[in-house]
Amino acid sequence: MSVFVIGYYSVLIAASCLAVYLERRRVFMLLFSLTLISFVAGILGGVSALRTITILVAVFALAAGVSYAFKEFLIQISRPGLARELRTAPLTAAFGMFVIFTYAIAGIFAPWIAPHGQAEVISTSFAPPDANMLLGADQLGRDVFSRIVYGARNTVGLALAATVLAFVMGALAGLLAAVKGGWFDQFMGRFADVIMSVPSLIFALLMLSIFGTSLLVIVVVVAVIYSPRVFRLTRAVAGNVVVMDYIEAAKLRGEGDWYLIRREILPNSTAPLVAEFGLEFCFVFLLIAGLSFLGLGIQPPTADWGSMVRENATLISFGDITPLIPAAAIALLTVAVNFVVDWMLFRSTGLKG
Amino acid sequence: MSDIFKLVAKRLGLGLVTLFVVSILIFFAVELLPGDIAQAVLGQGATEETVARLRERMGLNDPAIMRYLNWLGGALQGDFGVSLISGTSVTEAITQRFLNTLFLAAYAAVIAVPFAIILGVLVALMRDTLFDRAANVLTLTSISSPEFFLGYVLILYLSVKTGWFPAISSLSPGMGFGELLERTFLPALTLVLVVTAHMMRMTRAAIINLLASPYIEMARLKGMPPWKVIVKHALPNAWAPIINVVALNLAYLITGVVLVEVVFVYPGIGQLLVDAVSKRDFPIVQACCLIFAATFILLNLAADVGSILTNPRLRHPK
Repeated sequence: MSVFVIGYYSVLIAASCLAVYLERRRVFMLLFSLTLISFVAGILGGVSALRTITILVAVFALAAGVSYAFKEFLIQISRPGLARELRTAPLTAAFGMFVIFTYAIAGIFAPWIAPHGQAEVISTSFAPPDANMLLGADQLGRDVFSRIVYGARNTVGLALAATVLAFVMGALAGLLAAVKGGWFDQFMGRFADVIMSVPSLIFALLMLSIFGTSLLVIVVVVAVIYSPRVFRLTRAVAGNVVVMDYIEAAKLRGEGDWYLIRREILPNSTAPLVAEFGLEFCFVFLLIAGLSFLGLGIQPPTADWGSMVRENATLISFGDITPLIPAAAIALLTVAVNFVVDWMLFRSTGLKG
Repeated sequence: MSDIFKLVAKRLGLGLVTLFVVSILIFFAVELLPGDIAQAVLGQGATEETVARLRERMGLNDPAIMRYLNWLGGALQGDFGVSLISGTSVTEAITQRFLNTLFLAAYAAVIAVPFAIILGVLVALMRDTLFDRAANVLTLTSISSPEFFLGYVLILYLSVKTGWFPAISSLSPGMGFGELLERTFLPALTLVLVVTAHMMRMTRAAIINLLASPYIEMARLKGMPPWKVIVKHALPNAWAPIINVVALNLAYLITGVVLVEVVFVYPGIGQLLVDAVSKRDFPIVQACCLIFAATFILLNLAADVGSILTNPRLRHPK
């Protein structure tokens, strides 16, 4: 029994007792079940398992603390109306916002944050981490940390561009279909059906095999693949708005289709569309990451998370986790966006019911 | 009874039409290629003569419609033409790999489906507890992770650090079934993780939706024991959404399988597709895309037909 193990259990048990004394039932259940799990893990895995648990709990607590502080910060700096809504946000949503904020900073200020250029060869291949290179070098001797920072700009930027394009195309088509109806509506609906009946990754592979893998092609192809989702949602939401009396009134006033879309329908269907934008971004981001993992996305030497995983995958068979960091960066951003979207969906449905 | 047949037949017909349109899309997408396909395949350095010979071999001198009909006719009989790179039969290259992929998908499905449905129902019954919250965060993380991330994490922990399972699924013809299961365990587990998360969330949503309906509340209010409410009132109505969830997620497996096969170097059709795409071997790309799309459409069709059969209300569309 080392000092660490004794300290570990005494802290847990003392905290559990404190929770009971303060009558915090859930906190107690959480702490005490952690103690019991630690018993089993400690017997099976020894001290190292306990250390892993400690690190995990510490990371979790740190994330919770940061999100809590960040939420308070957002409440302080925003307008009173917005602040009231932010107060209802769960901690997960605050965490999501914090992660998105961090990525945005990393992406925008990449050249200042990264110590080296993204294509700069500064060392031998697969050199281990040192004071100069935080995470070591990749297969060509480029700094992995710098490339991850630049990846935030390239990968997320590309996904954002594709999402915006998909959204503009899908939403515009959906709104027009709802306003015009008739053959246009039918035609667009069937067209969306056909695109959606091919799995997205397969469709993307087919298109990229034909048109090659330039950035413009990727953005357009991905946007075309995911616009039917937006189209369907917009069509459904706008379809409910179009039958309202005030639309009828506007039509009788002699307003044109464009005015109807811009001034009457859009303001009344933003809430679900904003949430859909987040979800759509996740899908697009994962698709682009998958494509670049397959070597069909952003082409080297531009830093990109998906291809970084592929290029350095050999390190994994030596038990090195560096290649997993860009993959984890992808997962973290997607989780963060999902958390925020979850809260928005809950809010928009909560307001209705 | 004839109503059901009519409805199902109508749905099947619609599926066939979709498949037909998709086959047109897949075939004519290649026609969109700027310039000449033969030239594009051979590169700029090719002489006039070789280009002309390749054009002849690919039948590029016929009109596009004729080529499409030939291609479709061949595909219906299981003949997808010859590969541009190796000159061998595409069907030959695909058959064994397609069976391998089907095996992997089936392996994953056999584990994932019962697991996900049981967990989904449990989570729905215990909603808003700590267990439910934890499951929510875990499944969300699993859905949000790219398949290759999960795959490599599993390789790192279950193969490199512990040596329990092989990291690369090399299959050989004379392998026993047990060995086959062990070698393909990690790719199957990756797929299981992704699909289970999706399926669990959808099952949970379906069950919660159901439990909120007035007749369940009525059953509860009249003092029925909870298990009886579930078995007698909730379950019969839950079949339709559950069948739907299963079929949709099996369709989702198809996309996941491509990335997973590449991570684990699994000799399946997804890997073949990715190789063919980077080599621009169009006949193979077209054949793989058609097979994937057909499976996808078939499973979606199965979901629709399943829900028509289990939900009498859908038999009388308004």
